[in-house]
Amino acid sequence: MKKSYLQYLLAGAALVSLSNCSDNDNASPVNEELNTQVLLDFSANLPQAVYSDLSAKTSTLYDQVVALGANGATDDELAATRATWKQARQAWEQSEAFLFGPVSTKDIDPHIDTWPVNFNDLNAQLTSGNAFTEDYINNLDDALKGFHPIEYLIFGENGAKKAADLSERDMEYLTALALNLKTLTADANNSWKPSVSGNYHTIFTTAGKGSATYATQLAAYQELVNAMAGICDEVANGKLDEPFTAQDPSLEESPFAQNSIIDFTNNIKGVQDVYLGKYSTDGKGLEDIVRQYNLQLDSDIKAKIDNAINALGKITDPFGKAITTQAMQIETAMSSINDLKDILETELLPFVQQHTK
Amino acid sequence: MSKDKIVIRVLMVVGIVISIYSCVDPEALNDTDYSEWLSGGSQTVFDNGAGGFSSAFPHLAAEREKVHSIGDGAFGQTFVTAPAPQNPGLGPIFNNVSCTSCHINDGRGKPPLPGEQLSSLLIRISIPGTDVHGGPNPVPGFGGQLQQRGVFGAQPEASVRIDYTEKSYTFADGTPYSLRFPTYTLENPYTTLPAGVMLSPRVAPPVFGLGLLEAVDEADILALADPDDRNDDGISGKPNYAWNVVEGKMTLGRFGWKAANPSLLQQSAGAYNEDMGITNFVFPHESATGQPQYDGRDDEYEVSDSLLHSVAFYIRTLGVPARRAADDAAVLQGKKLFVDGKCSQCHVPRLRTKTDVAFPEISNQVIFPYTDMLVHDMGPNLADNRPDFDATGVEWRTSPLWGIGMTRIVNGHQNFLHDGRARTLLEAIMWHGGEAEASKEFVRTLSQDDRDKLIKFLESL
Repeated sequence: MKKSYLQYLLAGAALVSLSNCSDNDNASPVNEELNTQVLLDFSANLPQAVYSDLSAKTSTLYDQVVALGANGATDDELAATRATWKQARQAWEQSEAFLFGPVSTKDIDPHIDTWPVNFNDLNAQLTSGNAFTEDYINNLDDALKGFHPIEYLIFGENGAKKAADLSERDMEYLTALALNLKTLTADANNSWKPSVSGNYHTIFTTAGKGSATYATQLAAYQELVNAMAGICDEVANGKLDEPFTAQDPSLEESPFAQNSIIDFTNNIKGVQDVYLGKYSTDGKGLEDIVRQYNLQLDSDIKAKIDNAINALGKITDPFGKAITTQAMQIETAMSSINDLKDILETELLPFVQQHTK
Repeated sequence: MSKDKIVIRVLMVVGIVISIYSCVDPEALNDTDYSEWLSGGSQTVFDNGAGGFSSAFPHLAAEREKVHSIGDGAFGQTFVTAPAPQNPGLGPIFNNVSCTSCHINDGRGKPPLPGEQLSSLLIRISIPGTDVHGGPNPVPGFGGQLQQRGVFGAQPEASVRIDYTEKSYTFADGTPYSLRFPTYTLENPYTTLPAGVMLSPRVAPPVFGLGLLEAVDEADILALADPDDRNDDGISGKPNYAWNVVEGKMTLGRFGWKAANPSLLQQSAGAYNEDMGITNFVFPHESATGQPQYDGRDDEYEVSDSLLHSVAFYIRTLGVPARRAADDAAVLQGKKLFVDGKCSQCHVPRLRTKTDVAFPEISNQVIFPYTDMLVHDMGPNLADNRPDFDATGVEWRTSPLWGIGMTRIVNGHQNFLHDGRARTLLEAIMWHGGEAEASKEFVRTLSQDDRDKLIKFLESL
């Protein structure tokens, strides 16, 4: 992941000045109580809430897939399944704004969201007589399971699949994949649950207070801001830029459901939610710390988030087509998201270095 | 000079001025101590979170940053079965599907937990004798590395079973500790394995800072060597020389657990070829060539020259995380114990890269990698008993320790050593033997308090 030069200079200057000064009388004010609350609210309102939502939606998806197979599918049922798939994607894409902890280190991310799909092997699986047991799916390569193979099976190429097109093998594989997705997202959900042993909630929220992973609260705040900036980088300079620069629609990540622009928008909404400390519930967020000391920075960050979301909204064609038909809109979206990334790295990061410890 | 650059230079000056003036105590800016914060010299990065191993050199010219970024993209690409519009060529037999699926977050792999698939650990194999270049002698029908996975319809070479046996020990103060001894068994080989096959299990090592290690002058590394232990200190580091495929001759090995790889280009190309089954100009033949799994797809390189170079450049230009709490009193005491225990004899703290006018970013940097880049006898308990060029079956390269304290935050585990058998940093120390026997014994006799300080020091790296 690329980070700007400026960020390092600022961070470096901050580190050097912090490290050189054990008793700096001019230290910036630190509201430790608020800083602790923001970490707690982040954990409760973002990873815990979002992964719980994701887990619930993939559970519904599995039930719908099972029903599709049992009843002899109708197009309405297929449409409802597709709608649930999109809702599950919404939760997942928002969660990519805080992609650290077990979802990253335990490989849950690549298990559920790998692109491209290995179509040759997928088709070979479908024509084989292999039994799609839980173990069998678990041991499959990442490019054969998770969101995108499910997307391919329920939407079909060009999104043209009809319920009647779903073969028996399609249904067997789809059911097994939906179960696997449900299990893996439940793992993601459990990984932040305070009641589960070894959970990341405790590791993250005890930052600076005994956490072996986060020696200081500052480290936890840097994690948050770097994760927010990281997804901006990924969207602007990876997900948007790569298919656009190559003018190659086959590089688009979610072509069957034509869901790419919605995915990108939800990535940025994830950044917004982390900043505000809210998903379904509103709590204390980074916003509250920033507003205490720097109202201008707060309004600048919010304006750049809005700009980025609005710019993505101007891409009205499906992304695979828009790379040739809406070049200007895509350029604007990339630069708006890069602007957001820049303010996070060059202003919010130094800010948290000043006001957390 | 662009406006941006002027702004940046002004900021640099301001930053330095601020840092000087914000400090009442002038002695805090001792030159040596100050540098030790910056493990990677001017290519030190300040992200101490989960992305800590994933940042480009901070001082990278714009056009080089672009190449880094292309390599970054390629490093994350998942390969699939050919023919396909994107990333075709996986396998037919392989260890994993992308660079990043072993080097998660550009960091350290680990052995599988019970019930998990082997993912970021692979097994090198050979039979007694050497190949034409003096390297490991490949196993007929299997080659030099075991591929335990295959694309649909291709039979994996074998599966790997790992069993651990716990053995109990005590520190001198009576505190017990336990080490888990692994055994590796190859099961269900697709064809008969010849007798006497030697196995060398290896986890994926972190990939940051490697450009700086590649840039250390060979003469400086050789100056640290003492293969015949002429200074009689019980430590006899020696260089490994390995076949350099690109240059077509033997050159100093620097990378891999036994320093049997001379360059990052060859390392990357070899990983594409052996780990993923992706052919390239350095290794143009499928790893399965001559085996029944071979799919006959040798017609063109599955990763282009430019992408391969970009990936090598990407890992060459990943910065090194800055130290944390390097001036903490306990950390400084731990550092003293590290030196007193002679750990620093092999884990040499400070190296300098050579002058390189063509690549100023890595030129003439004082770095703190904590390695001598040499191989050492580490004793029978750690031995894989599989020679790899000049490195014998008991010898391993001194692993760099920079960034090791961030393994937990980046990779979520504490598995160390070549096959991840150690479950804590302290266990990793207690596995040391051979030339490091005295150092291990030194640590064994430390008090709990001193052991804690030593670990605290390591965690600050």
